[in-house]
Amino acid sequence: MNRPVYIGRRALLCARGDSPAAVAAALWAGQCSAGRRRLGARQFPYFALTGAETDWLRRAEGFVGQIAGQLGPLPAQTPLFVASSSFQIGHFEQLGPPFDLPPASASFTPLIAQWLGLDGPRYSFSNACIAGFSAIDAARTLIAGGLIDDAVVLGCELANASTLAGFASMELLSAEAARPFDAGRDGLVLGEALAAVHLSAEPADWRIAGLRTGLDGHSTTGPDPDGGRIAAVAVDCLNEAKMQAADIELVKLQAAGSPGTDLAEANALRRVFGQAMPPLLSFKAALGHTLGASGIAELAALLACLDADRLPATAGFARVDPEIALAPMVAPSTAHVERALLNLIGFGGGLASLIVARRP
Amino acid sequence: MIFLDAAFSQHFAPADLAGAVRDALGKPLRRAAPLTQLAVTGALHAIPPQRRALPTALLWQSTSGPRRETLHLLGEMCGGGEPMPYDFLATQPAIAAAQLQPLLPGLDCAMHLPLDDEKRAGWSLLLALACRWLAAGRYAQVLCASLDCWDEAATGDWLSLSARPLENPLAGLQLSDMQPPDALPDTPDFPARLAGWLAGDGPAPLVLVSPRAARLTLEFSRL
Repeated sequence: MNRPVYIGRRALLCARGDSPAAVAAALWAGQCSAGRRRLGARQFPYFALTGAETDWLRRAEGFVGQIAGQLGPLPAQTPLFVASSSFQIGHFEQLGPPFDLPPASASFTPLIAQWLGLDGPRYSFSNACIAGFSAIDAARTLIAGGLIDDAVVLGCELANASTLAGFASMELLSAEAARPFDAGRDGLVLGEALAAVHLSAEPADWRIAGLRTGLDGHSTTGPDPDGGRIAAVAVDCLNEAKMQAADIELVKLQAAGSPGTDLAEANALRRVFGQAMPPLLSFKAALGHTLGASGIAELAALLACLDADRLPATAGFARVDPEIALAPMVAPSTAHVERALLNLIGFGGGLASLIVARRP
Repeated sequence: MIFLDAAFSQHFAPADLAGAVRDALGKPLRRAAPLTQLAVTGALHAIPPQRRALPTALLWQSTSGPRRETLHLLGEMCGGGEPMPYDFLATQPAIAAAQLQPLLPGLDCAMHLPLDDEKRAGWSLLLALACRWLAAGRYAQVLCASLDCWDEAATGDWLSLSARPLENPLAGLQLSDMQPPDALPDTPDFPARLAGWLAGDGPAPLVLVSPRAARLTLEFSRL
């Protein structure tokens, strides 16, 4: 059996809004402001979720409850796939020493399942920034093969000092703003997000036409600047989708404003699309880089934009980098898009490409 | 049907792990966290040199995750400072694949699944994905593993699967819809139970069931 897999209901909470439609509207309006988060003597821009709750776990429960509300009722047996880079490390930071970690490293996942009202199979994925697409890949493989009929795939990245400090220690963060593909880009801006998609064999408006993950062991923190491995994954994805590069009408970039990774992605795009470059769009200067949640958060945001036929401009971009020699969309567009490619490039060499296509 | 080419377990005292990596590589592996060291020793043991360039996926689960490294990072954070970069990287299981790929050039995909209950395992998911991906020709071989680093021991359980087997595969494997009464639950002792079945010679297949996802049932059969 190899049946199509569709993306049905979607949910999204991030700095730009509390539903996919609200986020799409904010992006269309050009909203991209970020707050600041202190780290010792330093401060960094940060895209935080809003809310008054200060207890980490109760805050998480509240956010997951909002996601459950957006998704609407689901059978309790619905399989759950959770993607995260940091799970509940913020909770342990808050509790302080002595740190009493539970034996199982993904012990946060049963709590998420409980808050969603799900008690079926549950699986966790920790593949840094591509975790969301890894989780979707696993879920859609099982659905396509008739091994499950549907699944909730949830990405979760909530505030914690460890991740911010880790990225800061490697000097990967911008002190000011994310500038995807821009000549002045100088690093990432992190953010929080919770997002979920309901995948199903039941037809819905959007279909997963292709999904491939890959690996670039050039270094533990970034891909080979030549972009060869990234391009190979995108081509594999096109092949699975039985599409040509010219069929892709929009690329949702990984582009987070990282000097090296943005260049590698641009070189990969040239390998795949040559001179016929489709419009390019990055969300990370408006949503932040939400790491393990980013794949699902940006998928939910993109589909909401596409549903409304309102493609926002890429925030943070002003000046073409001669080395990159590509510009993302700088003006909003009402183009109707049938097929879009989404890229993820992660820590640890993780790569992923996903093609979504409207149901005919 | 796909084929089980190798099934083995590794057990190291934490202090011996770096030496095991050095034995496998002929040199030390610099700046590698214990889970990465475990992944390297197991993957190189599982796949013979002539097959290391074939398209390969690594699907690995872990109960412990980078536990010691996470505790160390939390300790550093609680002092109010910024961690050393390597200390943060060591908490990221995904980097194991980046350090493994130069040694296993065909490694195209790595998926890490942290487990949420020490009494359960995710073999049924890993093996179901392997069956589907190998049957579709997505990879030539899939490594499924369970890797844990605890204070007292570092352990790895490995199954190497392929669509075109080595000369003498250990067993066949397929998704199944039968659930015999003696089917094995998806628990951490599954590799030991499988090893026992492989060492025997009874005709009955070995069936692994997922308690919560009935259709993720896998059947090992003798060839």
